[in-house]
Amino acid sequence: MSSITLVFGSNGTALSTLRAGSRGVVVDVCCSEAARFSRLVGLGVTPGARITVLQTFPGIVFLCDQTELAVERGVADSIVVRTEEIRR
Amino acid sequence: MSCHVLHERAGSVAPPLRLRARPLRVALVGQPNVGKSVVFGRLTGRYVTVSNYPGTTVAVTTGRALVGAEVCDVIDTPGVTALDGLVSEDERITRDVVDSDQTDLVVQVADARNLRRALLLTAQLADVGKPMVLALNMVDEAFARGIAIDVPALAEALRIPVVEMVAVEGRGLPELRDALACAARPHVPAHPHASGRAVWAHQLTERVRRVSTLSLASVQETLARATRRPVTGLPILAAVLYALYLFVGVFGAQTLVKLLEDGVFGRGINPAATWLADRFIPIPLARDFFVGQYGLITMGLTYAIAIVLPVVATFFLMFGFLEDSGYIPRLAIFCDRLFRVMGLNGKAVLPMVLGLGCDTMATMTTRILGTPKERLIAILLLALGIPCSAQLATIMGILGGISFTALATLFGVVLGQMVLVGWLAARLLTGDRSEFVLELPPIRWPRLGNLLTKTRLRVWWYLGEAVPLFLAGTALLFALDRIGALTIIAAAGRPIVTGLLGLPPATAQIFVMGFLRRDYGAAGLFQLAHSGELTGVQAVVALTVMTLFVPCVANFLMMVRERGIRTGLAIVGVITPIAVFTGAGLNYVLDHLGVRF
Repeated sequence: MSSITLVFGSNGTALSTLRAGSRGVVVDVCCSEAARFSRLVGLGVTPGARITVLQTFPGIVFLCDQTELAVERGVADSIVVRTEEIRR
Repeated sequence: MSCHVLHERAGSVAPPLRLRARPLRVALVGQPNVGKSVVFGRLTGRYVTVSNYPGTTVAVTTGRALVGAEVCDVIDTPGVTALDGLVSEDERITRDVVDSDQTDLVVQVADARNLRRALLLTAQLADVGKPMVLALNMVDEAFARGIAIDVPALAEALRIPVVEMVAVEGRGLPELRDALACAARPHVPAHPHASGRAVWAHQLTERVRRVSTLSLASVQETLARATRRPVTGLPILAAVLYALYLFVGVFGAQTLVKLLEDGVFGRGINPAATWLADRFIPIPLARDFFVGQYGLITMGLTYAIAIVLPVVATFFLMFGFLEDSGYIPRLAIFCDRLFRVMGLNGKAVLPMVLGLGCDTMATMTTRILGTPKERLIAILLLALGIPCSAQLATIMGILGGISFTALATLFGVVLGQMVLVGWLAARLLTGDRSEFVLELPPIRWPRLGNLLTKTRLRVWWYLGEAVPLFLAGTALLFALDRIGALTIIAAAGRPIVTGLLGLPPATAQIFVMGFLRRDYGAAGLFQLAHSGELTGVQAVVALTVMTLFVPCVANFLMMVRERGIRTGLAIVGVITPIAVFTGAGLNYVLDHLGVRF
């Protein structure tokens, strides 16, 4: 299964570390597990997708394109996002 | 854009509509919760349950539709997020339909708001190589969100017909029928990897879609936010449960039941039936069979129609409302951590809440869960602790009349047992837990038409399912009573029923009834409590045992169908002692603490 390499650093941050209200673009989905990768891609979490973090507790909820997704922290760890400035 | 042009471009073979030996088979495929079942209903005139959450459809339904002059078989399939890679059981069903040689055409139903995701699936469907039509559903909602799609450009890029629809209103249906005749193989560049397809889908979406200003301040958005945040979400959950209690437990189980049981049956039907029987049936045995203590009319029909029906009908109405509003999946956010203790994830809230409607149906819905271990745990917990609608309402009807603490004790004990058993099962069973990733449907105002249709069909289904069993059960009880077996059962059950559980001997026969159907047993308890034969503690103990007890026959058969006879029997073997010992423990503790509800 294809898994793209991790691009951390100035380019991207894991979705799990973002605060509610953050916006950005998915630059990478990196998981060692094929199941997680294909599930996320199937839900539209692919490079280029615009995301907005809606809440971080009790679970992480974010808007990806027009889909509202709830994920556990471990899954959010593998979604790498390039953030825009945090509004509000 | 005409059909003709499309075919020239696609260079495909002859149009698929022609004389043939069997009807053309058209599969409706798409991501979860995009409205496949609505399109199916519109095409075929057959109603399949439509709700606002992913995973409503977990089995295949086939119906006939007339397209032009040709009769087609249309197949409604469970939603899929992806066709390749690891898929859950409901998704495998869809993949099999798509791959089948019997399927001639694929109509991909897509949510117009989520074109990028839809195209990811289009690319996978293209690999299968069947002629396709793309139906962009819910364009009204997409429009409201400022999304506009250049349909001709999209059709040209994919080289298949693309139709815009608002299926719930029937808009776009004629266009879809016309488009079927022009179905073609989609033109998607070959990508060996999912990531390549993702890039293609992204680029095409950017090209044909315009997103203008996003206005997210509508009432729906506010509600959507309020229901998923803990500060507002938990009070809302409490309010929803209270409303459920008021509507089903008070209005249904008390007001309506009183009206039907005391009024219609107590003063009307039963005296009339008794009068008729006294007059026209000379044999006492036959007379008792209809109107005696275990009479078909005075007991069987009274239980089914007067006690359980009002409760089930009010529950289905309220439940349908919650289903269509998109509220239920949002509970998964709050439940995720608790469910993880039980080896499940938040997604399991869907079958669990559905179990409150009917455990049998919910057992089938466990197909949406990711791994076999999760399915097994969910099926076990459904059978163990989730009371079905009729049972839930009789619980509310009996204990609501006693005290709130009585109700809280029962739910506390049952929930505690579920967590404990789930925790043990998660550790003892082999296999994995899947990760929590759930799509939350938008909050919508339920459509009255769908709500009423759904409730009506479910009530009919209940009547068809329950009334015969209630009558058969009553006949069985009558026979057992006549041959004296009931006294033997009561005597045999005495050490457990009276000794361990501290219940009156008459409860033994109610547990026999509970084997047939849980709600039948619950209705029996209801009458016993009404006639003042149960103390508060006895009612709590009896209902706790009944709730934890083996599932009804239908649920058992469904467990066997889904997981095999060995698993089915094993689940019953585990649950029965748990139920009895929990009841005994509860009775012991309450007795020693001197609790009186």
